[in-house]
Amino acid sequence: MFEAHSINAEHKDLIHDIAYDFYGQRMATCSSDQFVKVWDEDEHGNWHLTASWKVHSGSVWKVTWAHPEFGQVLATCSFDRTAAVWEEIVGEGSGPGERGMRHWVRRTNLVDSRTSVTDVKFAPKTLGLLLATCSADGVIRIYEAPDVMNLSQWTLQHDISCKLPCSCLTWNPSLSRLHPPMLAVGSDDSNTSNGGKVFIYEYSENSRRWTKTETLSNVVDPVHDIAFAPNLGRSFHTLAIATKDVRIITLKPVQDSAQSGLSRFEITTAKFEDHYCTVWRVCWNIMGTILASSGDDGCVRLWKDNYINNWKCVAVLKGDGTSAQSTETPLTTTPPNHPTGVQQPLSTTRNVTIATVTAEKPTAPIMSTSKWQAPVTKGRFSKSVWLGNPAEPSPLPPPILDRPKSKK
Amino acid sequence: MSSVKLEVQWSPIHSNKFITWGTEICLYEVAQIKDTVRPSCIKISDSTIAHLLATNTSHHYVKCIDIYPQPEPDILLAVGQANGKVVLTTFGPTAFDSLGLTGKELAPKHARQCNAVAWNPVDPNLIVCGLDKYRTDHSVLLWDVLKSPFDIERIHHHSTSQSDSVRPISESGISETAHSLAWFNNEPRCLVVGINNKHLKIIDFRDAVKVVNATPTKAVYSLSVDPHNDYHLVSHIENQITIWDTRYFEKPVLTLPQSRPVTKVLWCPTRHNLLGSLQKDSGALHLHDVQHCGIGGGGEDTEPGALERTVIPPWSSPASFSWHPIHVNRLLGISQQGLTDYTVFERITVNWATRSYLAWNHASKSIKYICSNDNIYKSLDDISVLTKSRANAEYGLLPELSQNGDLAENETLKNLWQWLYLSRSLVDDDTIQSPENKHPGVRMVLKLDGQQNSTNSFIKSELVHRPWTDIGSNHTAKIYRSSDRDKALQLCGWRFDKETNALYNHLFLERLEREGAYPRAAAISVFNLGLRQAIEILNRGASKMSLATNLNIVAMALSGFSEDRNSMWRELCLKSRSQLSDPYLRATFAFLTADNDSYENVLNENGMAVEDRVAFALMFLSDNKLHEYLKKLTQKLSEEGNLAGFLLTGASIEGVQLLNRYLEITGDVQSCSLIAIRALPPKLLQENQVQVWIDSYRALLDAWKMWNQRAHFDIAMRTSTNEKPPQQVYISCNFCGKSISAYMQGLSRARGPFGRLGGTSNKLKMSSCPSCRKPLPRCAICLMHMGTVSGLQTSTSNTNRSEEDNKLTEFSSWFTWCQTCRHGGHANHITNWFRHHSECPVTTCRCRCSSLDASFKAGSLLQII
Repeated sequence: MFEAHSINAEHKDLIHDIAYDFYGQRMATCSSDQFVKVWDEDEHGNWHLTASWKVHSGSVWKVTWAHPEFGQVLATCSFDRTAAVWEEIVGEGSGPGERGMRHWVRRTNLVDSRTSVTDVKFAPKTLGLLLATCSADGVIRIYEAPDVMNLSQWTLQHDISCKLPCSCLTWNPSLSRLHPPMLAVGSDDSNTSNGGKVFIYEYSENSRRWTKTETLSNVVDPVHDIAFAPNLGRSFHTLAIATKDVRIITLKPVQDSAQSGLSRFEITTAKFEDHYCTVWRVCWNIMGTILASSGDDGCVRLWKDNYINNWKCVAVLKGDGTSAQSTETPLTTTPPNHPTGVQQPLSTTRNVTIATVTAEKPTAPIMSTSKWQAPVTKGRFSKSVWLGNPAEPSPLPPPILDRPKSKK
Repeated sequence: MSSVKLEVQWSPIHSNKFITWGTEICLYEVAQIKDTVRPSCIKISDSTIAHLLATNTSHHYVKCIDIYPQPEPDILLAVGQANGKVVLTTFGPTAFDSLGLTGKELAPKHARQCNAVAWNPVDPNLIVCGLDKYRTDHSVLLWDVLKSPFDIERIHHHSTSQSDSVRPISESGISETAHSLAWFNNEPRCLVVGINNKHLKIIDFRDAVKVVNATPTKAVYSLSVDPHNDYHLVSHIENQITIWDTRYFEKPVLTLPQSRPVTKVLWCPTRHNLLGSLQKDSGALHLHDVQHCGIGGGGEDTEPGALERTVIPPWSSPASFSWHPIHVNRLLGISQQGLTDYTVFERITVNWATRSYLAWNHASKSIKYICSNDNIYKSLDDISVLTKSRANAEYGLLPELSQNGDLAENETLKNLWQWLYLSRSLVDDDTIQSPENKHPGVRMVLKLDGQQNSTNSFIKSELVHRPWTDIGSNHTAKIYRSSDRDKALQLCGWRFDKETNALYNHLFLERLEREGAYPRAAAISVFNLGLRQAIEILNRGASKMSLATNLNIVAMALSGFSEDRNSMWRELCLKSRSQLSDPYLRATFAFLTADNDSYENVLNENGMAVEDRVAFALMFLSDNKLHEYLKKLTQKLSEEGNLAGFLLTGASIEGVQLLNRYLEITGDVQSCSLIAIRALPPKLLQENQVQVWIDSYRALLDAWKMWNQRAHFDIAMRTSTNEKPPQQVYISCNFCGKSISAYMQGLSRARGPFGRLGGTSNKLKMSSCPSCRKPLPRCAICLMHMGTVSGLQTSTSNTNRSEEDNKLTEFSSWFTWCQTCRHGGHANHITNWFRHHSECPVTTCRCRCSSLDASFKAGSLLQII
């Protein structure tokens, strides 16, 4: 039986976020107990608590590391309506041969928000030392430290209102010069009639402003987390969304969208309901090939792309780490403690690209005998929209996969 | 009553017992599920069953129940009834019987409904009940179950009617209705009561009974005190849940409007500030994580809020629920359909480290993680783990191109690297003239794409009729030849002996045979009109391989080849061809039975390697058809991201697109960037796409702290562009500002005034600026002038002279300095110093140089802990 490694967290209340630094050798956790703890890994692979301090006067929602180029820097955000930037420094303790103790000092407290600050994220380092926050009053704020050596000075560069309460944000990590800086924001507004809950903002170098370029109108349930996959040079952006299900959305920039006046992106959605209820968090591996999600079923599920946009659940890890399953085929488990033991139909290959703007009319299922699974509209897809240019012809079924057999 | 109200409550003292009541009161015990479920048990979850221990049917019109909270082995219930009486009862005989508690009735003067009953959490004898209004009678009555004012002497005389005479020890709430009440945990004589649909009152029973605090509100139901904080109360009315702080009792600290009428709200005993609630006609359990916020932060008091969460346990229309007193987040729900034992999972946050650690939290207690060494992680087949191990093995950086393919341990990549090796060697030995591009593709060699006037450069092929000589037939096959086609064939790996009839290289076929690829060897023989040879190959194969392949049967079939269009052989072959499992054998027969030079079945045989299909096309297709076929094939392979298509595109912009498609499918940015720096011409390397691969891969190496690999990668990248990186560090004199290093480089070439010193075993000693003669700064540790060979240097051995000669000094005596305080010295002195110190070695300087360097951290950490 598999058992996950365990670290005694010693937090007094629920842990809201775990953040690894750039190298994956330091870890920061934050909790409702208003503390942040920093853990360091020694050369034997053991994790040690090296710092623990009270960072806010309310629950700490998120913690995040800056690129090490800027020093050992953390940012936190809290229910107490503030976000803070922390730097690790070496104390003044002196004495021959004695190394000063490291400790964390607050470099700045960002108090612009009038409500709970729900997420904080450093921008990709190519953009400089930028910090984005979003808050429950629906404002995204982008701060910049003009002098990277002085972390006490942050200027509020942009103040973007998105009308709905924000719960999470993510920077697009693309390194391509052709992609303008991009942010995606999710809202946990529970009123489904308020429309789309995920917004894409892009920065225009000409107007020097952030503008909303896309609203994902097929995500209407509250969004709890959102994450862009590492891009690595792909021609599309992949966005994972934690809402009442796991969504994996690809955004392919459309050329010459300015003329057509239509969507900037060709959007494909894949949707998985294996968590049965709410999905809380999503995160990507370093190369953007596997997605991890956690949800109300108390499990961490891992999703992998087998072929272009053909995502499958490849492993399920129980929250307590005592056992885990790994499988080639999708798992068929009943919902936890389900009294009737009825097996729900489970997701298998479920990506749908429907070449119409109206989601209500899915195309007829195309059956294929090849290994490649043709786009099939199955029962558990409630909705999948392709928001691209409707005038474009339907995408052809992808070609039959032929890899040369091993030549032995 | 139209429907019986169902209720459930965990015993506060027995962690495995609970009661339910509706028409009767039932006591259950919870046990782990066993294989056999006894009929008396009810399954309440996937892992637990409830065993009915006892039923108490003697009480009707039960309105409310509280379980005696003191740690006793038996369960004593206080049952509040519709007539206002509170009856103490048990399940069967218990220790309470001897105390006279069982069956004791506490009755108010006037009968009316009892709305609430609650044992005092501290004083074991006290119980309070809340009643409906009756004229001028009190509605909140405090009883002492053992010492009622009148009990002692009456017990003897009127044992049957004694309960009538028990009087409450305290009373409150004249002419009021008590809807709900709750004791405070730390103030044993104080309780809070919801009164008359319009007040919450805090009543103190300690002295004279008095109301110490009150607030007007309609939310008077389900009143309860936070088990973790006596100041916090919760109550509800219709669609609202209100949270109170007794210190600011004037108004609720938080009002949570709900979409439906609330039927029940309870504090979670195992989590701070967590409320659970049920709503009418809703299957969901609503959780309200109340957020309080101290003073600070924004400088002013922040209003509390609540993190709302909805979970849907596997129940249907729950009537009530009860939190387990000890087990974290466990609760029991009851509905008309039955009971549900459910544990609410805490929210899990999950994160993925760059080093392939996946961590998540298990509630607040622990952090769980898996890493790339675990089997579960290995089964994920994470490309990043593979990428890392390939990077460690210097994948892509080995000088011999084909060796890199062996490292990859992947057939497709191996073939690609091998092809890169092949194409380079063909270009290098001038078989193919391609001055700019070391890896031209088939299309490039055929000059199919490119300039508008391509018709000029495209060499027309001649048609050759070649007979099938070795079967003694005079039938001929049409073969197209041109010099470009020959070169392209070589790119496909089909090496030709130009003029002889045995057109192919025997070595190639022998290699295939050695590898066991008999069908492929046979097919290639047949394509080269060597039918007899193909049969020989198949026969050899049949003797070596398992019977399943039936190679000799195939050979037999092949020997019957007949060019006659209407022969039976042909007919049969056409029919049974599709049943052959091997693509090469299928292609062989497709070729032999082809009509009118239409070789669709060979060309579209996807099981055949791309190079063989292309080579086949190069031999048998006319110029137009070839052009068309290659165009289609390129397009198809590019769309699929099939690296075999690189044969067609070569190192061109289409090749870049192909690689990018491959990247999109596999995420293998490593192979893409390494192929780019090894194979792409400098111009293509500047493509934005390619630069993104390279940047991404370098960022990966950085994140894995693979500095050496990163440096080697950068070096390899520079060599391909042929541009020398500029020198990045210069040393200039403090005084005259002239470059010292430039002068030193001159010296190393053994010229100039010091040239004769260069060859001696004593390294050059230079401690002053060569132009102004002022001394160089001193090392902070050894106090020698920099540039001086000092300290630990061992005598130079003669073995490594050639390498050492190029360097002026050992690395250990290089200059190094702190970027902040500008103090420094010889590299190894400084390194030694900071192994034991954190402060700058210069006496008055308090700069903590080493700790400013993040990469120095790892080593220093241990000493702190």
